[in-house]
Amino acid sequence: MKESPQNNKLEALLRSSKLVAGGFMGSDNRGVLEIIDADKIELSRLGFTCQQLASRMRQITDAAKTGLETWVQIDDNLEAKTEEARGFLPCPWPHAGRFVKRVTIIRRINTSETIQWSDLNIHLIGGHGFFQGRGSNFRIEPAILIKMIF
Amino acid sequence: MNELSHAFVVFISAIFTQNILLSYFLGLCPFIGVSREVKTSFGLGLAVIFVMTSTCLLNWLAYEYVIEPLGLHFFRFILFIIIIAAFVQFVEMVIERFSPSLYQRLGVFLPLITVNCAILGASLFMVIRDYSFIVTFGYGLGSGIGWFLAIIAMAGIRQRLAIDRIPKGLQGPGITLIIAGLMALAFIGFTGVLSGN
Amino acid sequence: MILAILTAVMVVSLIAAALAGVLVVSEHYLNDYGRCRITINDERELEVEGGRDLLSLLTSEKIFIPSACGGRSTCGLCKLKVLEGAGPLLPTEEPFLDEDERKSNVRLSCQVKVRQDLKIEIPKELFAIREYTCKCAEITDLTNDIKQFRFELVEPQTMDYVPGQYIQLRTPVYEKSSEEVYRAYSIASDPAQKNIIDLIIRLVPGGICTTYCFEYLKVGDEVKMNGPYGEFRLSETDAPMVFIAGGSGMAPIKCMLHHMKNTQNKRKAVYYFGANHPRQLFHLDLMKELEKNLPDFKFVPVLSEPDNGDNSKYEKGLVTDAVRKGLKNASKSEAYLCGSPGMIEASIKVLRELGMDEKNIFYDKFE
Repeated sequence: MKESPQNNKLEALLRSSKLVAGGFMGSDNRGVLEIIDADKIELSRLGFTCQQLASRMRQITDAAKTGLETWVQIDDNLEAKTEEARGFLPCPWPHAGRFVKRVTIIRRINTSETIQWSDLNIHLIGGHGFFQGRGSNFRIEPAILIKMIF
Repeated sequence: MNELSHAFVVFISAIFTQNILLSYFLGLCPFIGVSREVKTSFGLGLAVIFVMTSTCLLNWLAYEYVIEPLGLHFFRFILFIIIIAAFVQFVEMVIERFSPSLYQRLGVFLPLITVNCAILGASLFMVIRDYSFIVTFGYGLGSGIGWFLAIIAMAGIRQRLAIDRIPKGLQGPGITLIIAGLMALAFIGFTGVLSGN
Repeated sequence: MILAILTAVMVVSLIAAALAGVLVVSEHYLNDYGRCRITINDERELEVEGGRDLLSLLTSEKIFIPSACGGRSTCGLCKLKVLEGAGPLLPTEEPFLDEDERKSNVRLSCQVKVRQDLKIEIPKELFAIREYTCKCAEITDLTNDIKQFRFELVEPQTMDYVPGQYIQLRTPVYEKSSEEVYRAYSIASDPAQKNIIDLIIRLVPGGICTTYCFEYLKVGDEVKMNGPYGEFRLSETDAPMVFIAGGSGMAPIKCMLHHMKNTQNKRKAVYYFGANHPRQLFHLDLMKELEKNLPDFKFVPVLSEPDNGDNSKYEKGLVTDAVRKGLKNASKSEAYLCGSPGMIEASIKVLRELGMDEKNIFYDKFE
């Protein structure tokens, strides 16, 4: 597939460590569009859209925020807490938008499984359908995410 | 007709009857983009006059003494553009050094002019029409002044328009293009004032 | 045919090269502004090579003006007064300057080009900002994701800072980062030891600087920092004080408490420290010692999920709940907060409900 120059630039930025240590792509050799497409197919197989996931994630983060970095019960079997750090992360896509460095950690109460996402993750999934490359710190597998939050 | 009077006729016709902007629609991008205020248009217009005159002459020399003898006609586009770009860069440096205040006023516009197609257009017309050096001078200066007048007029009108109510769909470039069309019609009224060019 | 093409290409290249040559030569002569003299606050003079923008010149002279955009005139942070020699205001500066600033010759230093002698004014605090070379002397684990780093200043050897201020730590290029970055951390050390800077840092997942500090930085390594920055500091009143800060937010508070001990400050002070679990508490011995050595200071750890052991010494719940319970009436007190934006917003809300005037709430928000 032929890539546009904008896309090449985006991909270089995603692979670099300019914004987060290790970059967004991890050890994934696929291109960013391939990753997005693969996850999109996976999602439609599971019967969800990126927007649905993002708004549920947003809802959980907003609820967890009130706990001031302590665990907050979200529903019968789910608890979450946030951790905030100084500064902002800009979205790597070429538009204005910066996100507080806030990580939400969620935990299933019965199995103690946890996953985590940052505010930027929510935007990347909701706005760009991008779940990040395999091996990246903040890669989220759509199937696991759905199992955890719905 | 001797050389000088020919140059004069070309000069006048380049301003009015053959206005490079309104009859050939060259250099439209800055014409629409930078015509919101008379002040900035004035700066851009001055820069265009200067650059157009100088590059026409430079390109004439390049054409006459390099391109023509070596038979490089098919390269003239590239060469003209290179010469224009280098010249603009050079002028920018000179102005920045010796007249910071003029540089501040022209500052943004000078590099913008490099990619103004009216400048390249003038150089190409001068080749096609086989002008001599003197006539080229008249043509370059006239085209520059013509462009200057057109953008000043447009800026004046748009300043007025800023306080008028314009239908939403026509705001911005839409109404500007319509005005440009009307202005072009008005300039066509000059046709026949001069017959020689 | 081939010959014709070759000559054509040669001629075009030659012309282009000749033009480029002319430009390079003329740039060399035209861009040479000679030496310019910059007078700062009428007290210091710099002799610099002209032709560059003021911000980068000052930075290369080790005078650090805050700037977030790196000179592209998008952040508007690098304002300073240029009294003489700046030339007219540029269109790129206009959006950032209001009427008063224009009258008092405030300019964006990244847009002012140095072409002649300049007279500028820099706020005293900024003038004190320097770049420091230091050596990592000690790394202490405080909790599972918070460490305290001790740096000994090498050059210059001491830093004059006000307790509550922060420095910017430089992260060099390393395996996971292709560029130098600067990140801000509050100073946590005892101000009496002027050659030591302690930082309390929590690991941010994927954070460029914190990952460096946690996984790559070793005792003995050389690092660079610049500072001090920031307006967060103790007021000079006698009002009772409430400190609220959890996790690495303890840093500036710790520094202030050391300072209070050094100056034998008699103000009443309470420090609410919020955490989830007893294992997230740290510096408990230090706080005990400060309670002993300060005339009127109390450290109140607040836990949201105490374990099964002896929890009687801890407050339970959210830190804001404990503040509400312990403080009752806050109208005469001052508050000093440091931590995440969420915690600060929640605390401000509670403090206002308790009657505190908003202008008596000072905070160092993590942003």
